[in-house]
Amino acid sequence: MVNAPSPATTERAQSQRSAGPVAGRRGGTRHRRHQTVVACLFLAPTLLFFAVFLILPLGFALLLSMSHWAGFDLGGIRPVGLDNFTRLFADGSTFLVPVLTHTLLFALGTVVLALTGSVLVATCIDRLRFQGMWRTVYFLPIVTTVVAVGNVWKYMYEPGGLVNGALNTLGLGSVAFLQDPDTALPSVVVVQAWASFGSAILVLTAGLKSVPASYYEAAALDGAGPVVVFRDITLPLLRPCLLFVCITQFLTGLQSFALIIVMTKGGPGDATDVAALEMYQQAFSYGDWGTASAAAFVLFVVVLMVTLAQLWIFRRKGEDA
Amino acid sequence: MTPSRRAGTLSRRHFVRALPLALLATGCAAPRQGTGRPGDPIVLTLLSHYASGVLKRALQGPVDEWNATHDRVKVRTRAVAFADLLTTFMVRQAAGQGADILHPYCLWNGQLVQAGVLRPAPSEHAEDITRGYGEAAVGSASVGGKVYGYPTEVQTYALYYNKRLLRAAGIDRPPRTWRELEETAYRTTERDRYGNTLVQGFGLSTYDDSTTVGQTLALLNAAGGRFVSADGRSTAIDSPAGRAVFDLEHRLVVNGASAPGVNVYQAFPSGQVAMVISAGWWTASLKALMGKNYGDVGVAPVPVPEADDKRATLSTGFMLGVDTASAYPREAWEFLRWLNAEKMSVQSAEKGATATRMSTLQVSAGSMTGRADDMRTLLGKEGDPNLRPFLDALGYAVPEPDVPGAQQAKSLLRKNIEALWTGQQSVDAALRSTRRQVDQEMSRPW
Repeated sequence: MVNAPSPATTERAQSQRSAGPVAGRRGGTRHRRHQTVVACLFLAPTLLFFAVFLILPLGFALLLSMSHWAGFDLGGIRPVGLDNFTRLFADGSTFLVPVLTHTLLFALGTVVLALTGSVLVATCIDRLRFQGMWRTVYFLPIVTTVVAVGNVWKYMYEPGGLVNGALNTLGLGSVAFLQDPDTALPSVVVVQAWASFGSAILVLTAGLKSVPASYYEAAALDGAGPVVVFRDITLPLLRPCLLFVCITQFLTGLQSFALIIVMTKGGPGDATDVAALEMYQQAFSYGDWGTASAAAFVLFVVVLMVTLAQLWIFRRKGEDA
Repeated sequence: MTPSRRAGTLSRRHFVRALPLALLATGCAAPRQGTGRPGDPIVLTLLSHYASGVLKRALQGPVDEWNATHDRVKVRTRAVAFADLLTTFMVRQAAGQGADILHPYCLWNGQLVQAGVLRPAPSEHAEDITRGYGEAAVGSASVGGKVYGYPTEVQTYALYYNKRLLRAAGIDRPPRTWRELEETAYRTTERDRYGNTLVQGFGLSTYDDSTTVGQTLALLNAAGGRFVSADGRSTAIDSPAGRAVFDLEHRLVVNGASAPGVNVYQAFPSGQVAMVISAGWWTASLKALMGKNYGDVGVAPVPVPEADDKRATLSTGFMLGVDTASAYPREAWEFLRWLNAEKMSVQSAEKGATATRMSTLQVSAGSMTGRADDMRTLLGKEGDPNLRPFLDALGYAVPEPDVPGAQQAKSLLRKNIEALWTGQQSVDAALRSTRRQVDQEMSRPW
């Protein structure tokens, strides 16, 4: 039995059909708007955090970089245009040379040492038993405070310290590692590289685990030696990990100053003065927040350029970060 | 009508909405100077670096005494480590939470005055200060000729020497002239065959500002020179006196009598440094560190270039001043006068002897104030004879410059001195570089 629709039902159905697309669109818009509101609500805490702790300070730093402010009274902020930037690069200013130069050397030295050392150590660990234990041992400096690391190494570098003791035992003369301007920066670079070994080794050993064993077996069948295997299989396949370690270590190196403040305070002279330390001194010791903020922006540009350059180089070789 | 909707009654929803606002408002308006209710005492905050040990206890004594004897105005002390003191001033001031009474290192006074943090001393207090303290102490507490606070600890610089090491080198008295200083330094120096320094004749140390800049400025003042020109707009170090000091230090390093890499604060008490120029506060530390070997330590005035030259040395210091943001400046100055200027009887001294509370507390902590009469009373005849040269120096010491930018000028000087000591720069280059860099900073329109 077929129920015939009543005229009223047919009319309602026709009216619904004619209003359908409009009502559907309205419903869809309302639904999308609702979804947007919900999405915004969910994102709000993160966006608020981002705004308060990143956008706001960044904007304030930008304002300060073009102002003079002694750091005491917010009402005392006085605009000075680009004077702070001009001063940084003026004749006689030490910011470009030696401060920025030292910063780049410090970061570069740290990356080279830490990367080379960690690749070698990670490769060795990959062939050892008790790999977890070795990784833990090498990770220990990461969980040690910078102050402790800096002070221990400082004592080791002292004229009568462990390192000079070893040199003397070998019949060599003492070296004033941290007191000689020629050796001070390399000495601190060694400590920074040592302190950052752990995280690099952790990443690289994970990378080594992801290299398929079949590649090594094929290479062994072809009679490839360990050097060829390392050069042609291990290193190319580690490239994403190397890129990650390289970028993170370089960025850390460019921004770090805690170790330097503990070990040398930027001395002797300005032999170990780096940009972050200079910024800290300008702001907190000299009350010149304008110059400190301008220096921070210059460092930001340097960091950005270096990172983009690293990404570009690795992408040319077919790797993404 | 339900009870929650009755007029004048707080519903749960209203309460939940109002609570965060109320908490925020309470936090922002938290009374830091008492409750503000009529009749309740005013609470003044005092921010200093007397954060631990004997100094903290020494300051708390008089503060407790004040609080016990004054009902209307109470004082609460807050302390941070010296390394964090300037930063704390900045952060609290910027946040509108500055203390009523500040205890800055006088080197920062120009910076603090420039930033509008310190309030000039009212005329009656300024007169009191000018009358009661030595010239160096008043100079340290003043900026542009205006007094900004009561000087507290004043440090003068003198020559510490190890009597045993000098005797072993056949020298029976401390040097009085620079020629004698050099000769004594060379004769007392000892090195092993690897070049390690066993005994430094004269301790030049890159350890901190005090050891690097302090002793250089003490020698500069002794040679009749000044670091900063009279108008405070440039450096005066590139002068015959400045050159003579840089030459002297350079010779001592090059000839092996000084090893700037060695920390003199550790090496001197261990008998590895024969002579070093440092401030008076060190005597107390040396006593504690050296025990009975402290008997080997002698102190003499900073040697002068020639025997008939007028004596001079460096003085540094702290002062207690009032924050411009304090709501109770009159009360704060009154407390400072009570602490720093009001005399009280000294039990350990002869009958009728008096000294200020600040002088008493400084001496109890092994330090000094710029009140020479108090110091003579408190140190007495039985006091440590090694403190006498520091006390005498109050009469002829030159205050550390405290113009705006003084901290940066000091850091720049330190870098150049270290560059000189480590052979990065010649004497000429170091003088030129110091002058150029310091002048550039000091001529800035702050």
